[in-house]
Amino acid sequence: MDEFQEILQDFLVESFELLEQLGSDLLELENTPEDLELLNRIFRVAHTVKGASSFLNFDVLTHLTHHMEEVLNKARHGDLLITSEIMDVILESTDLMTKILNQIRDQGSDVGFDAVDIVKKLDAAANGEVVSVIEPNVVAPQVIEEVQEAPSVEEEEELDYSSMSEDEIEAEIEKLLNQKQDEDKAKRKAKLDAGESVPALPSVTNESSATPDTPSTSSTPSKPVEVAPVQKDPEPTPVAPKAKPAPKTAPAAKKQAATVEQTIRVDVKRLDHLMNLIGELVLGKNRLIKINDDVEERYEGEEFLEELNQVVSIVSLVTTDLQIAVMKTRMLPIGKVFNKFPRMIRDLSRELNKKIELEISGEDTELDKSIVEEIGDPLVHIIRNSCDHGIEDAETRLALGKSETGTIKLKAYNEGNHIVIQITDDGKGLDSDMLRSKSIEKGIITEKEADAMSDKEAFSLIFRPGFSTAAQVTNVSGRGVGMDVVKTNIEKLNGLIDIDSEINAGTSMKLKIPLTLAIIQALLVGVQEEYYAIPLASVLETVRISKDEIYTVEGRSVMRLREEVLALVHIGDIFEVERIFENSEHAYVVLLGLAESKLGLIVDSLVGQEEIVIKSLGEYLKGINGIAGATIRGDGGVTLIVDVAAIMEMARDVKSTINTDSSNTTKGAVEKTKPSDYKVMVVDDSKTDRTIMRKSLEPLGITLVEAVDGLEALNILKSGDHVFDAMLIDIEMPRMDGYTLASEISKYNKYKNMPLIAVTSRTGKSDRMRGVEAGMVEYITKPYSPDYLLNVVKRNIKFNLEMSA
Amino acid sequence: MSEKLQQIINKQQNQDDPDSIDIDEVTQLVGFVVGDEEYCIPILNIQEIIKPIESTRVPQTPDYVLGVFNLRGAVIPLIDLRIKFGLGQTKFEEETRFIVMKHEDEVAGFVIDRLTEAIRLPKKDIDPAPDTAMQENSLIEGVGKQKDKILTILKVYKLLERDF
Repeated sequence: MDEFQEILQDFLVESFELLEQLGSDLLELENTPEDLELLNRIFRVAHTVKGASSFLNFDVLTHLTHHMEEVLNKARHGDLLITSEIMDVILESTDLMTKILNQIRDQGSDVGFDAVDIVKKLDAAANGEVVSVIEPNVVAPQVIEEVQEAPSVEEEEELDYSSMSEDEIEAEIEKLLNQKQDEDKAKRKAKLDAGESVPALPSVTNESSATPDTPSTSSTPSKPVEVAPVQKDPEPTPVAPKAKPAPKTAPAAKKQAATVEQTIRVDVKRLDHLMNLIGELVLGKNRLIKINDDVEERYEGEEFLEELNQVVSIVSLVTTDLQIAVMKTRMLPIGKVFNKFPRMIRDLSRELNKKIELEISGEDTELDKSIVEEIGDPLVHIIRNSCDHGIEDAETRLALGKSETGTIKLKAYNEGNHIVIQITDDGKGLDSDMLRSKSIEKGIITEKEADAMSDKEAFSLIFRPGFSTAAQVTNVSGRGVGMDVVKTNIEKLNGLIDIDSEINAGTSMKLKIPLTLAIIQALLVGVQEEYYAIPLASVLETVRISKDEIYTVEGRSVMRLREEVLALVHIGDIFEVERIFENSEHAYVVLLGLAESKLGLIVDSLVGQEEIVIKSLGEYLKGINGIAGATIRGDGGVTLIVDVAAIMEMARDVKSTINTDSSNTTKGAVEKTKPSDYKVMVVDDSKTDRTIMRKSLEPLGITLVEAVDGLEALNILKSGDHVFDAMLIDIEMPRMDGYTLASEISKYNKYKNMPLIAVTSRTGKSDRMRGVEAGMVEYITKPYSPDYLLNVVKRNIKFNLEMSA
Repeated sequence: MSEKLQQIINKQQNQDDPDSIDIDEVTQLVGFVVGDEEYCIPILNIQEIIKPIESTRVPQTPDYVLGVFNLRGAVIPLIDLRIKFGLGQTKFEEETRFIVMKHEDEVAGFVIDRLTEAIRLPKKDIDPAPDTAMQENSLIEGVGKQKDKILTILKVYKLLERDF
């Protein structure tokens, strides 16, 4: 049973691959119906699927493919010319094939499908007017199979031709002819390959030749006799049990022929796991780099530093390469998605009665598997939209002096860390005025908003849900859903959409999508004491502005950037960040762009660019508005990743507080009634000094809190347990000196008015200057008289009670 | 031959059985203090217990969600049981610990005031929660009776359930 499952899996994978190829081949065939090579290729697909499905007992599928094969066989032999009617039937049957295969994949059986109708059509096509022979079958380039059969030539010569039917003999002759040719090819190839592939061939031959179209090889000695009557039998050809690997080997061999390339199939889960491990490695690398920087600072000039540096840079280099390499293994050519569009355009142009041509370029451009899966739907919608609304019908086009046939260009190319997919049509273009009035009509925007819109903004109206310019809902579009899907999906991928359009010249839509999703470049920004990571893909630029460049319009903050008016929102307002530090005069604006919209995000500081690995917040915290995930930074801390799409949503409801002054900080100013209500912190690393200060201040009766160094002092302040009226700070201290402490304290808004008094033995003028710069208001030099200290403190804490002690 | 083997296997199973029943009857719990109360949870729900480390605030969460922290590469939510139980926040002390609890795939860290002990409690000594605390959204699994005190056993899956 397991073996059967395995074969079934292989069969499905193979068949879907073949079908994909089949789709594009068939369309090509419609243009060049006499291309024998193409015909043969198509024939082989039907054939391979038939052989395998009969082995696996999928009767409906076998029945269907058998009749397809019949039609194609006739065409191959020149007995039938593929007209577009016949092509319709064939396409219809491939559709059915796809459906059946899907069901087999999901349910494991093909029961329930009825192929009778389509088989009748196929039979009718097969028996239709027999067109005179176009070309004798000189070349039937079944390249691969023939190459492989080369070693079995001798065996085949021993066959008994007399026991064969006419058809078989014909086939045999054809095959032998081909063999001759392909032997030559094989020889040439063998020279190139240095014989590498030759020894492996015989076994392949036996298996692949067991399929019915090469009915006679020594490996199935009993077969030739049996096969003869089978050829015209509507029942599926019984495939010898040995043919089990047939579906596997044939296409594999085909690949080999196309390009000599060796591939193995790998479970996506393994790649995902590998990607996760790389993610961990990247985090480790970031951490290593940070530690290296710290070490460098501390042990400047030491010899081992050089060595450490080298190792760190090698590790980071290799990690980056490794990451790229693994990323590449997950890459698929976008052609996989593009493949289905020629067929779609063909159907659409028939349905809409327009002449449309599709030009595809850059289908080799690669991107991550997960993105390939997501990008299909949006492209379908865009192309349908172009066909339905963009391209005019033939008469209109002629009247406008355009060529009768409309063209849609689908183009993919790389741009830095992004892939750009461009969809261009030469249709009627977007009419921005019409878009505005339609949107007002549908209540999507107000007239005021419409007036303020630039043409580009008006174009992006087509992405609003519920918007449609179509006068009526057609089969193809007009429900106002499609373009909304485009926007949602592209946003999910952190992509950007850019629309350009000119009336009667056409529309061009550019989708810019990051190459991968798991490891991204991010801009780290700071707000107060917190940090956030913004995906760099969504950052258009950063600007430093001063506070007076921010205007408030109807309660919203905006700024003017070049010719644009940009909506602004403070990251702190979105994430409810507590304002501890004072806002500085300047702020940074990170200009975010996503899909077609823009927003200016105000942050306190820009930290820099870093490669981050996206981690989920888990079930408990998932779905937090505005947060896309988290990442672990070089220092081991967790930084949250901003969900740009959500922020843009949230920004609409956030009230601006950018310019509101948060000056209600003096709430701690309780009425002081007794001396012990006054609190002063003494920061000094020497116990003696602390005692001297305590003794000097004792007469005042105020409360004293002691700290042994800057760090402890800062922690006491931060804990908020005490409200201090002043601080006495020594300069020379371990861990954190007085200057640093003072400048740290001055960052806090609520301590802005707390007097900091330096008590030190440093007497130099430059020391005093540094003290002032750091925010110290008084400078007491040791040694000092107790009275002097007392008076200075008294003055600074505004001690206005009569001394009771 | 195979019969003999079967017998031996049977014998071994019979030997094993009484033991395993014994083990089954005893629940291993870990006790800890939040505020003035002692609580406990089954030891099998504990992934690890660590000393407090730095966490990052996550916006738009209730105040008892202190944020997330990095546990060897995994990002894990941190919940303060004091605030969750309505006891008000205090600073982390010397004895404060994070208990990382798990239930199926759910993992979260919980801030507790201090650990007490590991307890082996026979199943028969565990009573269901008192009627007043029997509601569906109660956090109490049951009450364990010990010689000198009563233990409140918490529902770990309920603690790990998002309720906002």
